[in-house]
Amino acid sequence: MGAILGKNSSAVLKEIKTLLGDGLKTQTEPFPETAVEFSKILDELRALEPDDLEGRLVIGGFTDHPYGEDEMRCQECIYYLVHRKWCDLPELSLPVEPNWWCRLWKI
Amino acid sequence: MANLLWLQGGACSGNTMSFLNAEEPSAVDLVTDFGINILWHPSLGVELGDNMKALMESCVSGETDLDIFVFEGSVVNAPNGTGEWNRFAGKPMKEWVRLLSDKAQFVVALGDCATYGGIPAMAPNPSESEGMQFLKRERGGFLGPDFVAKSGLPVINIPGCPAHPDWVTQILVAVASGRAGDLTLDEFQRPKTFFSSFTQTGCTRNMHFAYKVSATEFGQRKGCLFYDLGCRGPMTHSPCNRILWNRQSSKTRAGMPCLGCTEPEFPFFDLEPGTLFKTQTVMGVPKDLPTGVDKKGYIKLTGAAKAASPEWAEEDMFVV
Repeated sequence: MGAILGKNSSAVLKEIKTLLGDGLKTQTEPFPETAVEFSKILDELRALEPDDLEGRLVIGGFTDHPYGEDEMRCQECIYYLVHRKWCDLPELSLPVEPNWWCRLWKI
Repeated sequence: MANLLWLQGGACSGNTMSFLNAEEPSAVDLVTDFGINILWHPSLGVELGDNMKALMESCVSGETDLDIFVFEGSVVNAPNGTGEWNRFAGKPMKEWVRLLSDKAQFVVALGDCATYGGIPAMAPNPSESEGMQFLKRERGGFLGPDFVAKSGLPVINIPGCPAHPDWVTQILVAVASGRAGDLTLDEFQRPKTFFSSFTQTGCTRNMHFAYKVSATEFGQRKGCLFYDLGCRGPMTHSPCNRILWNRQSSKTRAGMPCLGCTEPEFPFFDLEPGTLFKTQTVMGVPKDLPTGVDKKGYIKLTGAAKAASPEWAEEDMFVV
């Protein structure tokens, strides 16, 4: 994660946009229904190489648009820092847009 | 002069440790200024063996007036309801508890184990533990739902793991000085003076709660501990952020999530990996919402709070 953090945040954001825009297939399902399932996804993320941006997006199940009937999005997620446009979940630690979503979404 | 007798059942002595650290008033003040005569206490009593037994028998026979009976720790019933796993002065402790409770003017259950069963009463509860008048949320416990002490009051429950020392000494002073009539108890027989507000009341992280900024790791100075780290402050009744610990701090002020130890269900966690110190969620929404808030309202509030969140809320504000 440190390697990604070491890069310019806007460069990482641009890279993510490109990956998602090009149709990167991510694991939006299954959504972790319980804290135990949530924790298992975190374990998978922790096992990744620190600079594996694509892996983080895939396991996190990122989309570049709101998700589901309820239009869930980063903007309302408790890990999202509104002013920094940043996902503060330590296992992700990525620049994100408010209208994106991932399956680690929590309100 | 009010005679006080203190015994321990399935206990770790945590509440005794807490009591001995009391400051307002202190344990010594109880004796010197408030007329409490400590007949016996596990850490302070001088009688041993037959002398201790004779003292308790004197209370049971009525030869010695027993004004306040304090019990710390769970009532142990194992094995098979006999209570033999916790013997004291020649008989199962639970027999002493029954005999002394029937003689006391006031019965005080101290700490989560004595009040509601606490950790010993967690499933599968091998010690067959229960609280004095509750087993978790269920009224009854060892003494039964209809028990009242000679004063007419049911067991006065002072929960906590441990209870704050001042909660203990202030209640003892109220009882010993004839002001027990001023005590009002809630549905779980906790004194309302301490247990009407929430742990969150007075928490220094309230602004982060309001703007839905989460602490995501221990030691962070920003962020609320409720959203991700399992803090139960918004739904736990205690004055931990009003009557500070050691006059200095509280769990949440120090960055430690509230575990909800003054509530009957404590401990809440099933100890599966990923559940301790993690907010339990169902489809991304906290399983336990702040008391009185429904899911729909919570979601609406989150949207509004995030949209209104100021930049400073995202920063560490307690910079050294």
